Amino acid sequence: MFNYIVSQLVNGVTLGGMYALIALGYTLVYGILLMINFAHSEMFMSGGYIGLGVLNLLSNKAVQAAVVARLPFLAFLQSARTFFTGSTIGMILMLLIVFGISAVLTGCLGMLTERFAYRPLRNAPRLCPLISALGISIFLQNAALLWIDNSIPFPSLLPTRDFGFGITPIRIFIIVTSLILLFVLDRFVSTTRIGKAMRATSQDQDAAGLMGIDINSVIALTFFIGPALGAVAGIFSGMYYGVVTYNMGFFPGIKSFTAAVLGGIGNLRGAMLGGFMLGIIEALASGFISSGYKDVIAFVILIIVLIFRPGGLLGESVVEKV
Amino acid sequence: MKKSMKFVLLALVVLAAAALVIGCGGKSDSASTEGDTTTGKTTLTIGMGGPLTQGDVAFGQGAQRAVQLAVEDANKLPEVTELGIEFKTLDGDDQSEAEKGVTAANSFVSDRSLVGVVGHFNSTVSIAASKVYNENNVTAISYGSTNPDLTKQGFKTIFRTCATDDYQGPTGADDAIKLGFKKVAIIDDSSPYGQGLVAEFEKKFKELGGEVTSKQSTQQKQNDFTAVVTKIKSERPDFVYFGGTYAADTGAGALLTKQLKEGGVSVPVMGGDGLYAADYISEAGEASEGDLATCPGMPVELLPQGQAFADAYKAKFPGKDIAAFDAYAYDAAQALIKAVVKVAQENGADKVTSPAGKEAIQAAVAASSFDGVTGPIAFDENGDNTNRVITLYKVVDGAWVAQEL
Repeated sequence: MFNYIVSQLVNGVTLGGMYALIALGYTLVYGILLMINFAHSEMFMSGGYIGLGVLNLLSNKAVQAAVVARLPFLAFLQSARTFFTGSTIGMILMLLIVFGISAVLTGCLGMLTERFAYRPLRNAPRLCPLISALGISIFLQNAALLWIDNSIPFPSLLPTRDFGFGITPIRIFIIVTSLILLFVLDRFVSTTRIGKAMRATSQDQDAAGLMGIDINSVIALTFFIGPALGAVAGIFSGMYYGVVTYNMGFFPGIKSFTAAVLGGIGNLRGAMLGGFMLGIIEALASGFISSGYKDVIAFVILIIVLIFRPGGLLGESVVEKV
Repeated sequence: MKKSMKFVLLALVVLAAAALVIGCGGKSDSASTEGDTTTGKTTLTIGMGGPLTQGDVAFGQGAQRAVQLAVEDANKLPEVTELGIEFKTLDGDDQSEAEKGVTAANSFVSDRSLVGVVGHFNSTVSIAASKVYNENNVTAISYGSTNPDLTKQGFKTIFRTCATDDYQGPTGADDAIKLGFKKVAIIDDSSPYGQGLVAEFEKKFKELGGEVTSKQSTQQKQNDFTAVVTKIKSERPDFVYFGGTYAADTGAGALLTKQLKEGGVSVPVMGGDGLYAADYISEAGEASEGDLATCPGMPVELLPQGQAFADAYKAKFPGKDIAAFDAYAYDAAQALIKAVVKVAQENGADKVTSPAGKEAIQAAVAASSFDGVTGPIAFDENGDNTNRVITLYKVVDGAWVAQEL
């Protein structure tokens, strides 16, 4: 029994780490723009697709052959393949490159959507950017579906070994990496100058602008960090579940948004707490009650929390700005 | 601005009219007249409804060839030539869509030489079209729609030759017991199909003395099954029964299989025709090895008269593969032809297409009893074939292989 509980907790924490990473994207944007970025789940999906693309470029023989046939100057990739797949150092380096490129490109995608889909609507009624976000979400899903593929298998990079309690290398990797990223982001926002600028912008955009903060770059940066973290979660999802699909962002997106609300939307630590809580609740609910009712239980808990703390667990109950 | 709007509207109207003309033009010349006696023969038409240009075309075009073959075989029979009858086919392309199926059905029933229809393939299409056939008293025999509801509408003119989903669950339970499995963990994907399948499976499996360790539901599009996997691992079942579809954007069966096997549940996954697809194997990868799935129908080479059918088919259509339901389409056409011949013998060839003749055809089909390619053909009170063939398939070396138990 003890074994079983711990195993389910490990499942929940792994899932929670991914939720927390995605939830940060929702909460960062909400904190600064008071807008729910419904396209964020597609940043997660794009991150998975881009990560897989880079990975295949570095390590998949057939993909390399096809690419080099068209772009001969990339032939050096073929010679680097044995290094990346053969040695531990190469493997670590490859993972870093995969995560790095995917995070940066997805971050840029996030900035692009902000620049072209949200910024023109910044002074429009709040419903407008929301609709715009839904449009971006549908566009990106269909772009992945039509231009790439509806589902592509993701190679398992880490060895499959059970250290007991269902603790496998991939789970350790996901939990540790997300904790590191969460810690770094928390430090970044609370101690650096840019972080201070972000917090100021979130408190009062106009006043922050008057104090000499470049609001546009702060918002652009927010739209870089959120999707970049989402991309990391997207690659985790690919590695963990072994597949990327065009609609893979759907469930994690809803759950992470819920996690952000549970923790108090707009509050960074709240999103982290909410993410882990939701992951653990889900795992325990499906492990002990019923897998069919796990979402019902998760949402009942969300409603109970919101009844007693309308701002979420760590959110401040702010009087609505009129 | 206003002028240009008017122009656009006008252009749209013209386009729509053109589309209407082109779209309907093909039909006008196919409406042949009753009892075409120019050759001294009565021409009788058999409608062939299925996805021919879009949708599940493999099953539509295959059936089209099978029906053509059945008609040619029939036209050579002495009893048919004696009666002065010549059968011909009329194609109706439903593109796997319900609305197009209704359109095809309407064009069938307006043909005065029509004696019946073989079709359709997709269950949604068959169900939609069945109302048209029933209203017009036209006998229609589906060759590939497995949804039980089709024949439960109380329509006297609707039949089918393939087995239904109802029997997959019990057959799966039977096969599992024969394979020596005693403990099962059951999962459904929350779809009506999946829930129906596991309910029938569970009932039969318990009846046969099997033990159900747990019953769980997952969701459509779910990608995280780790909690389910951990639970099943602790129960140590002999196999997992999954009622649902394989694709990641529906029931996600392939993902479930992958996570089960990687999570240390190294027992086979069994399911229905929702898993029986090549993509299930490619998506689940090596994890799918040894998995089982039931599917209505049977590969041609295992059918009672399959070899003779396959030889004739290959001779007539060289280079074409026989699709899974082609033999059922052949048998559906045969049932119809035999009924028509019987009615013509009793009432005269010229009375077959009269309202009374249509009633008689329907009664004759209902009383069918002959050996078809797929085995003995006879219909129960709903119009379902009493010979319910369901085949168990197993993933062997990355491909589905039919199993004989």
